[in-house]
Amino acid sequence: MEKMFEIYIKTTPERLWEAITDSEMRQKYSFGVGIRSDWKEGSSYEAVHPGAGIRISEGKNLEVDPPRRLVQSFTALWSDEVQSEGASRVTWDIEPVGDSCRLTVTHDELREGANNELYGGWPMILSGLKTLLETGELLTTPGSLRYSGGEAFGQVEARS
Amino acid sequence: MDEVFRALADPTRRSLLDELYRQDGQTLTALEERLPMSRFGVMKHLKVLEEAHLVTTKKRGREKLHFLNPVPIRLVYDRWVSKYAEPWAATLTGLKHQLEDG
Repeated sequence: MEKMFEIYIKTTPERLWEAITDSEMRQKYSFGVGIRSDWKEGSSYEAVHPGAGIRISEGKNLEVDPPRRLVQSFTALWSDEVQSEGASRVTWDIEPVGDSCRLTVTHDELREGANNELYGGWPMILSGLKTLLETGELLTTPGSLRYSGGEAFGQVEARS
Repeated sequence: MDEVFRALADPTRRSLLDELYRQDGQTLTALEERLPMSRFGVMKHLKVLEEAHLVTTKKRGREKLHFLNPVPIRLVYDRWVSKYAEPWAATLTGLKHQLEDG
């Protein structure tokens, strides 16, 4: 099974690449989950929620071509159910269009009828990524701060 | 965002999205068989959905596959919920957080 997610973000490919591969930036739009890797082809990565101290996913960097394309294998670890789905594949494609970028996330090699928790978070993650790059702010709509821990809730209160 | 609202305003186009939700990555021919509509009609509606980025496509060999892209719907939600409904929604998520943390 294959799923595609597309978004236009007013930014440069370089900034977008940084937002995808920098752990601190990533935590800001990805349910508080950071990512650790040396970003070399063939090496592994690990996504960890620093607040909760739990591992969220892991896999290998199959293709690393900054600032255009990143292909990773993806094994979800946040519950027994998702872990039993095994490895799938996530491809980030960045294409400059005028003063913006078209970002396509393709999540494939999913089992037919795979648990939708595996790919269901992408719209919210990409919406948060767009908000962060275009405004420098965090997305605070319901759901976007779920699992992000007390720190993010504190930021909302401080702002309002 | 005008294109998104315009695209969603039509029941046939919503049923096309539902059909892709049920089975993603379909060809024009497959979609035409699923809906009581001419090939030209399906093409016309798909074009509107593509322009609104609610449908994204990919070539596989000679085939063009159509995928539901839910991201613009999420953007509409984030844009409008945050403007009109955030006070109560934030209270509810805060309450949920408090209850879950004890």
